[in-house]
Formats: sequence, structure tokens, C-alpha cells
Amino acid sequence: MPYSTEHDEIPNPLRPGLRAESAPEPCALVIFGATGDLAHRKLIPALYNLAVTGHLPAASGIVGVAKSELPTEQFVSGMRESVGTHSRTKPIDAEVWQDFAAGLRYLSGSFDDSGTFARLRSALDELDRSRGTRGNRLYYFATPPSAFPVLLKQLKGANLITSPSDSRFTRVVIEKPFGRDLASARALNKLVLETCDEKQVFRIDHYLGKETVQNLLVFRFANSIFEPIWNRRFVDHVQITAGEDLGVEGRGRYYEEAGLLRDMIQNHVFQLLCLTAMEPPVAFDADAVRDEKIKVLRAVEIFEGAEQVARSVVLGQYAAGSIGGKDVPGYLEERDVAPGSRTPTFLAGRFNIRSWRWDGVPFYVRSGKRMPKRATEIAVRFQSLPHSLFGEGATRPNELIIRVQPEEGIALRFSAKVPGERYRPRTVSMDLRYGAAFGSVVPEAYERLLLDAMRGDQTLFTRRDEVEAAWKIVDGILKVTESPEFPPPRPYRAGSWGPPEADELLAQDGRSWRRL
Amino acid sequence: MSENYGEPISAGATARAGDPGELTLRFESGFDLPRIERLLQEARERGGRAPETICTLNLVAIYFNEQQYERARSALEMAGTIHPSRLIVVIGDELIPEESLTVRASVVRSAGAITLERVVLYATGRAIRHLQSAMTGLLRPDLPRVVVWGGRPHGALMNRAVEAADRIVIDSGARPPRYLGETAALVAKGAPFGDLAWARIFPWQALAADTFDLPNLREHRGNIRKARVVCAGAVGAEGLLLLGWMQSRIKKLQVEIHAEGEAESDETATAIPRAEPMGLGQVKLLELVAPPATFTLRRERGLLFADVKGDDDGYCANRVRLPPDTPGRLLALELNLLSGVDELYAQAVQAAAKLLAQVEP
Repeated sequence: MPYSTEHDEIPNPLRPGLRAESAPEPCALVIFGATGDLAHRKLIPALYNLAVTGHLPAASGIVGVAKSELPTEQFVSGMRESVGTHSRTKPIDAEVWQDFAAGLRYLSGSFDDSGTFARLRSALDELDRSRGTRGNRLYYFATPPSAFPVLLKQLKGANLITSPSDSRFTRVVIEKPFGRDLASARALNKLVLETCDEKQVFRIDHYLGKETVQNLLVFRFANSIFEPIWNRRFVDHVQITAGEDLGVEGRGRYYEEAGLLRDMIQNHVFQLLCLTAMEPPVAFDADAVRDEKIKVLRAVEIFEGAEQVARSVVLGQYAAGSIGGKDVPGYLEERDVAPGSRTPTFLAGRFNIRSWRWDGVPFYVRSGKRMPKRATEIAVRFQSLPHSLFGEGATRPNELIIRVQPEEGIALRFSAKVPGERYRPRTVSMDLRYGAAFGSVVPEAYERLLLDAMRGDQTLFTRRDEVEAAWKIVDGILKVTESPEFPPPRPYRAGSWGPPEADELLAQDGRSWRRL
Repeated sequence: MSENYGEPISAGATARAGDPGELTLRFESGFDLPRIERLLQEARERGGRAPETICTLNLVAIYFNEQQYERARSALEMAGTIHPSRLIVVIGDELIPEESLTVRASVVRSAGAITLERVVLYATGRAIRHLQSAMTGLLRPDLPRVVVWGGRPHGALMNRAVEAADRIVIDSGARPPRYLGETAALVAKGAPFGDLAWARIFPWQALAADTFDLPNLREHRGNIRKARVVCAGAVGAEGLLLLGWMQSRIKKLQVEIHAEGEAESDETATAIPRAEPMGLGQVKLLELVAPPATFTLRRERGLLFADVKGDDDGYCANRVRLPPDTPGRLLALELNLLSGVDELYAQAVQAAAKLLAQVEP
């Protein structure tokens, strides 16, 4: 259904100034890997919640595709159970569910079989007729990365990907990890872009769907008081922590392939680093924001050689320990983990951003599994006073803490006088809890990202060059640490904040990690 | 013209009993502000040390009897929690001749913090004269002031509110549409009005705009000639505002409005919020003629449908689900704008007031 672009020049007289949120265009969403954990725990509950809040176009349908032989009814009842368990809105609204479920389809088949895609085409045509999805398609690759190439090839072969100039849209959402190193990411990008245009590709990093991560942009660029001090002249260093108390949770096979650098650092942690360090974009649109993020990644110093990596990075692997009063096994005792595995489950690193704004300000990063608690935050530590009026060590440097999860919020730590006759300073915290400040329910990250993908807004998705620039940094570490000559990851007790070497990394610079 | 329009803000909610956590003080002659502040502090500290209080605006709600407030209460509470506020409810009941002054204070907690501090000032008889100064003394400094006005948009008190408030939220849909003229006159003088009737038509506006953004339908954008609105049971402010908005956006647009059928009956309340029933005067159909195509937007239960005919075929162009009608949703939407004039509304209400002549010659 090609259309002429000549009418795009006619302005829509009803659009200017509208305060109402637009619903996305009608579309059919295809989830590859529909019987998997992601679809059950996140995607279907998120889509259902979009229906509850009125954001999912009623003219929509969902086709689940996976290998398991299942009748559609069983797929639908399984999804209802998942929504009942994982949806943030409870109980299930029978009326919304009825309409939502009427648009659910299931297709079993191998991704290698072109017949699967012929049947997919028929299912999509049927949705166009019965649900009015108008030929618009959103393909979601909720599969292991090894399936991406065959999916792209089959979709192209079955003529299921329209040209970007077609009136009907086709968009592809690709889950992380996007490649396992720079070379494979480049190869995958090449493959993706042979099939689709970059404007059709939505590389998802669910951290970007979190409200607090988005709030970081508002916090930085909607307040004038922070900008003058957000640089090397006032900031001593930045600490980014992304800790999980969970282990690999039965995903040993995946984790053995990925490890912490691929699972967390290349994507989530570097996104936080970018949003903290980026310059103000010229506009709040997808390319302007991503242009600034890529500048940060390009300015991050690439480690060259084993000596620099050993000086700047500490890898760890959790051993048995106790979390929340319960014994937990070590990584090597987890299912599907190879004996003697060298896969890191922890990283502490010092990254330097060679830019006008940040040169000389270390960005310390730590991330790991089986930490004492789940905590993700960015802490900006400001420089110490040049001279203390109240005695040596009486005051601590100011800190601005942006908590991403849990208890999303922002805290500013500063000195205040302890009541009494003497001038005794004490560090106090001014704390804004995001959930309390705005009583509205915070949507799940996947709700926001799926909605943006349906709307075609790529601001919160990573671009080709961004992915490759992040891999370039991680490659510099992987090349060294994955060689047999490099020492294996240091063991750390589950329930601790990593091996002692992580503390030493900061101690060498006269600093210490924040106690969380 | 029926007068049976929904109550302001609450849209049909039933009155409920007072909050058991509410603290009450009665005064003989005149309010005592320090005592009211102490009462509020006591309410904050109920159940232990007061947690942090978050406050982003002063929300002043004005009613003329207790029942009006009780009907609006859950909506105010919800909106005030989404936009953490100091809520001052002013109730002046002139129909009770005896003088009385009562203050009730309470707080609403959310996620461990106080997100709504509420003071209800209630006066009857001549004591009503104390309400305005007491309310002014209780406002938190340096925060936006938004007035929720539950009555007709006229009178000396309204004029004072226009002068003092950053924004005034009314509900034109809660009364016969002839009062749109009064609203338009005040808006023309710069009154910073927000209108729940306006917020109620957001989904119609969005669907109409979205439909003309669909790639194959863009060719009709420059050719919209006529708009027709059908309201449920009686012509209402929502329909007039919808047409007024379109007239202010499209030059030489012919418009037509009439009523058909009846309003939907209010279903039994459930734990699950769903789209509110189509109340008296609310929009049930919008038809746009852009020859050779005709676009029909219609409401069926919780869905809005957009159909197009005369283009390629008669397929359904779009369907959207109406947002669930949780208490205070519309008010919370209006509170997203804390100051100034909503230009689009200002133009729409002027055009809507002119359309009144067609409806009520």
C-alpha cells in the first residue's frame, strides 16, 4: 500500500497545542519467543496494562510465536495467569482482558522453517481484518541472540518487512545482548540494516524505560542550579552502582555466555554513565539525545593492554554466602555453570572521560550479582572544602545521589549545624522520594518502551553507533580479561559488596565506595 | 433544557461519611489561624512522628454546602495526592441562617510521606464573611494557587478568585451549556480557567488528530468542510467545546450540533475503574466531512471508534480505549497546567459561546 508523501506537507490543523496524549497507530505485535520468561513476566503484563490505561490502541493484536506446540487457548490462559501474577494492576479487569485476549494468537513452529513465516503472514492478515491492525507490524525478538539472524532472514524472505516509506510501518524491537563483542555487534548491525532501515530498529535497554532514568534528563536539563557545577571544577568523582541481590536464578547457561560485562556494563551501566555525563542536547528528540550520548562513549578512555586493565578493573565471582538471612550457593555451584568457570559476576572499574567537562574526574563503576541488596544509583561527589572553618574533618564533601532502584529518588547531602551552643556540623540528607512526591502510579519500564516503539519514538532506544561505541570500550576489557593469562575473577562472599580488591581500587585514589 | 447535569468534579459519586482521622475545632467568633495550624500539625503527627510533607501547590476548593464537597471529596483527594498539595476546602452555606464556624484537619499519606494536608473551613450564616481571610492566611507561601470552583462561574467571590489564583478549575459540563457565555466572558478578560469538560474531550481531540495523521488519510487534512456533533440526551458543554475547538482550528468550518437518545445509566461501582458512563450532554458522535471522505468518530461503551467512508473503502480507521474513570483523573489532568491561560481552550470557549445562539436562540 504505497502512499505519496506529497500530502505530508499539509499540516494537520487539529494537532497544534493538543494536551491529550496520542494513542499509537493500530498495529499487530509479534513476539518471537512468546513462551519465554520475558514474554510471561514483562511483555504481556505490560501490554495488558497499556490496555487498562487506555494507551494500547484497541485496534491491536498480538501474535506469539515459539517452538512449543500449544493450542491458542492454552497460550491465552497461560498469559492470563502471567498477567494475574505479574501485572502491576490487580485484579484483572474482565472487560479489558476479554478484548485484549480476543486479539491474542499463538503460532508454533521453528524459526528455521519458512512455513512458520507463511503461517505468520496469514495470522497477521487475519488480524488486519478482524482487529483493524491496518498492516502495521511490530516484531519483538524476545529470543536468545542466536535466533536474531534467522528471524531477520525469514521475515525478509516472507516479505514481512515493509519499506520505511510504506504507509504501513514495520518496526523491529531487539532485546539485549546486542552482540557479544564489537565484531559480532557490527556483524549483527550489518545484518539488521540489510533488512531494515535504522529508523525501523528499536534496540531495547529496559533501564532507559525507568522513570528515574528519564528523570535524570529532566533533573539535569530542567534545573539551572546544577549545570554550573556539573563539571571537573566542582565534581571530585562519580560513583555508579548497579547491584543485585539475586544470583543467576537458573539462567546459568545464558550467564556463562554473557558474564557481567555483557549483561550489565555494556548496556545498563554505560547508559547511566552517558546520561550523567552528556552535554545538553540541542533538542529533546531521538537523534539529538543519542548524538550527545555517543559523544560521551567516544570520550571514554579505551583500556590498552593488560597492565592498564589490571590497574583499572577488578573482576569478581560470588562464592557461597548469606543474603537476607538465607544461605545461597556460590556461582560455581549454580546449575549449568561450567566447573572452574572464569565468568565474572562482579566488576569494579575506574573509567576516565577525556572531555572538556570531565577530564580528571574518575567515574567509578561497580556492578554485581549477589550483593547485599538490590541497589542502583549514581552518586556525584563534589570536591572538599578548600579550608574548613569548623575543624579538620568536621565536614564531609557534598553528595548528590540519584537512586534508580529501589526507592527511586534524589538526595542531596550537605552539612548543617547540630543544635546547641557550639558550631558542630553534621551531614544531613535532603531526600526526595520519587514515588512519594508524585502519587501517580509509576508505569513499568516495558510499558513505556513498548508504547514508544508503537509510536515510533526512538529516544529511549540505542542507536547503531551507540551500541558499537559501548562495545569498543568493553572489548578493551574483554580482550584482556578473557585471555587465560589474566588472573581469574576474585571470589567474593555472596552478600558482600565484592572482593576486597574493589575497595583497594578506590583506596589507591584516596577514596572509598559509598556504603549502601 | 434539563438541569440534571452531573455534579462538579465528582461526576455522580455519592456522598460519604467524614474521615475518622479528621480532627475538628469549633469557633465561636472568627477563626484562630495559629490554632488551625496546630490542629494540622496534630493531624500530621497522628500515629507517631510526622513524616516528611511534600507540597507542590495550594489547592483551594470552594463549595456552597457540605454535600457538594462530600461528592467531590474522593476526586480532590486523589488529584491532591497525584499533585501533592495543601488542600483548603472552603464551604460557605448561606442557606443555614445560624452563624457557625468549624475547622476540620487531616492528612493523606502516600509511600511513607504526607502528600496531602487538608483543612476544611466550614461556615454558615453571617460567619461566611470570615472564610476568605482565613483561607488566605492558610495558603502555603511561594506555591501556585489553584482554585477548584464548584459553582457557576460568576459573582464577586469568583472575581476575587480570578484576581488571586494562578488557575481556576471549573466544570462546564456540570451545568447547562448557557453558562459557557459567562465563562467565555471571563476568559476573554484573561481568567486562567481550566475546565473539566475540556479535559473530558481530550480523547476525542486526540483521536480526531491521530486519524488525520494516518498516512493514507493525510490527503484529507486540508479539506475538512463540516463538523457535526451529537450529544447524549441534551446538548452539553463538551459538544460545544469540541465544535468550538474545531472552528478555531479550521477556517470556514460549518458546524452542527444536536442531541439524541439518553445519557447512559451509571453502572454499579466496582473495584476496577472503567470509562465513566456517557453523562447527559456528553459527546456520543463527531462527524467530519472532508469531501469525498466522511470521518465518523463514535463512542460505544469504553471505546472510541473512527471510521472513514468515501476514501478507499469503509474500513475502521482507528479504535482507542477511553481512559478509566478513576476519581480525580480529570482534575489531575487539569492540574498538570499550574498557571496561565490554555490558549487552545480560550479560543475554543469563545467559539463555543458563539455557537450557543444556534442551540438556544
